[in-house]
Amino acid sequence: MSAENTFEPTIIGFLCNWCSYAGADLAGGSRKHYAANVLPIRVMCSGTVSPHHIVKAFQMGADGVLVTGCHIGECHYLKGNYMTAKRIPVVKELLSFIGISPERLMLDWVSASEGEKFARVVTDFSSKIKALGPSPLKERVHGRAKEESKASA
Amino acid sequence: MDYKTVLTVCPYCGCGCGMYLEVMDGKVTGTLPSMNHPISEGSLCIKGWNAHEPVHSPKRLTKPLVKKDGKLTEASWDEAIGKVASELTRVRDQYGPNSVAVLTSAKCTNEENYLMMKLTRAVIGTNNIDHCARL
Amino acid sequence: MEELKKKAKQALDEGKIDGFLGLKLEGGEVSPFFVTKDNLAELEKLTAPDGRYSLGKILTRIAVKNPGKNIGVMVRGCDERAIIELVKASQLGTVKVEQYGVACNAKTAEKCNCPQPFPSHIDFGEKAPGVEHIELLTRLEGLTPEARLDYWLGQFSKCIKCYGCRNICPVCYCKECTLEDKNLVPGGIVPPATPVFHFIKAMHMADRCIDCGLCEETCPSNIPLRTIYRHMRKAMHDLFEYVPGRAAEDKSPLGALEEGGRLVH
Repeated sequence: MSAENTFEPTIIGFLCNWCSYAGADLAGGSRKHYAANVLPIRVMCSGTVSPHHIVKAFQMGADGVLVTGCHIGECHYLKGNYMTAKRIPVVKELLSFIGISPERLMLDWVSASEGEKFARVVTDFSSKIKALGPSPLKERVHGRAKEESKASA
Repeated sequence: MDYKTVLTVCPYCGCGCGMYLEVMDGKVTGTLPSMNHPISEGSLCIKGWNAHEPVHSPKRLTKPLVKKDGKLTEASWDEAIGKVASELTRVRDQYGPNSVAVLTSAKCTNEENYLMMKLTRAVIGTNNIDHCARL
Repeated sequence: MEELKKKAKQALDEGKIDGFLGLKLEGGEVSPFFVTKDNLAELEKLTAPDGRYSLGKILTRIAVKNPGKNIGVMVRGCDERAIIELVKASQLGTVKVEQYGVACNAKTAEKCNCPQPFPSHIDFGEKAPGVEHIELLTRLEGLTPEARLDYWLGQFSKCIKCYGCRNICPVCYCKECTLEDKNLVPGGIVPPATPVFHFIKAMHMADRCIDCGLCEETCPSNIPLRTIYRHMRKAMHDLFEYVPGRAAEDKSPLGALEEGGRLVH
């Protein structure tokens, strides 16, 4: 009998303003139940989410990073999500090579009307991260990250 | 339309990494490591990589400055050196030789550092002498 | 080399080029040098040694100060790939570049661990076979993620933040470098923000690295940087069939605002 997994992951979610964040609002407004592990950050377009933001999130102690944007062809800025779709697989490759599971980074498309999908994506991803356990970077460098952010303040 | 590289040694610490200063139209504009140098083997530290920066910096001192009425004002070399000598003498005589400490620099030559050591021990009369590379 | 010296001298005399950038051997030392009509005698020292410098990068610095000129460059395999990337990034638009292709010999190719020790157009030298020792890359790819993370964090902890990898890289041209961004890489701490510092460089190298190996050569801490960037190059090839330094007409998928890529879960 395995011990109950009491680990609650911290997931940073980059949600695009026009579709995903609205979808998240709809999920809340419709009183959908979903995991409370995602800390949402509203960005104007998923294409503005840089690899720098993603790795910084991991370095600061995130166990997982979720990036959601408009569906392909529906980007408010026309082609922003094309950049995201190309960029995220490359980031995953680098994460994997460094030794951080690429499954800790997820990209999905959530439109403004997909409140239910948002709830499902968040819950599923949270379960996945919970099963993966705390980020290996956390124990090794998180302490230093705190020291670094104090130094830069 | 002039570009050349000048082989030299990094002026900072005692390592003595080999480097090239890039000179463009008479101005020192950059630094390259000496890739097959027997000591540094093509590496430089951050100080070495930026050794070219102070050369043409507008912040460089061009004349001796002496503090008069709380403000640094331009002075002659004689006045500046005279002031240093008289003040060091005054402090040594008033508070004793061990109230003076001397810190030399890797940017000085070995001979200059030797002179500083002699000045500190024989003239000022203290052994409070150290070198920036030890820090 | 004698033929190249003659050809360069002729081009300078005829005014076909205003200056020639190459490597010289002087007093046992190899260094970059620039020849114009005013110092033609210097051409005698021209050499294609084992040692390398980022001639492409030096070319950009000369180009900025001398717009409108024609500049001849001695290009070996790595130099040509660097120039292709710099042209793509509009870093050499102000001058006309005349390339004198020199093929490296087998000894140099082995020393540089170079898969393509010759430019696409060879004016001088005999083509030698490419060399690709990827033992470390293969070994790391075979490790478990935990072991890999241990390995890389150990390597990154040696970093002294000299910025040598960035300074010597022929395709690092940004005036405002992300590695100096205080929010990502706080100042005053060594080793620098781990693994953020190296992650940033690796992501920027993914679609730019031309596999010259100068970064690894100059690193005072012997961090196997080239291995990371080689992995990224492989990823770019597998995902998008994109190879930096192959052709000036290629557009990096990470920069071009167009379709590509796919959802990955």
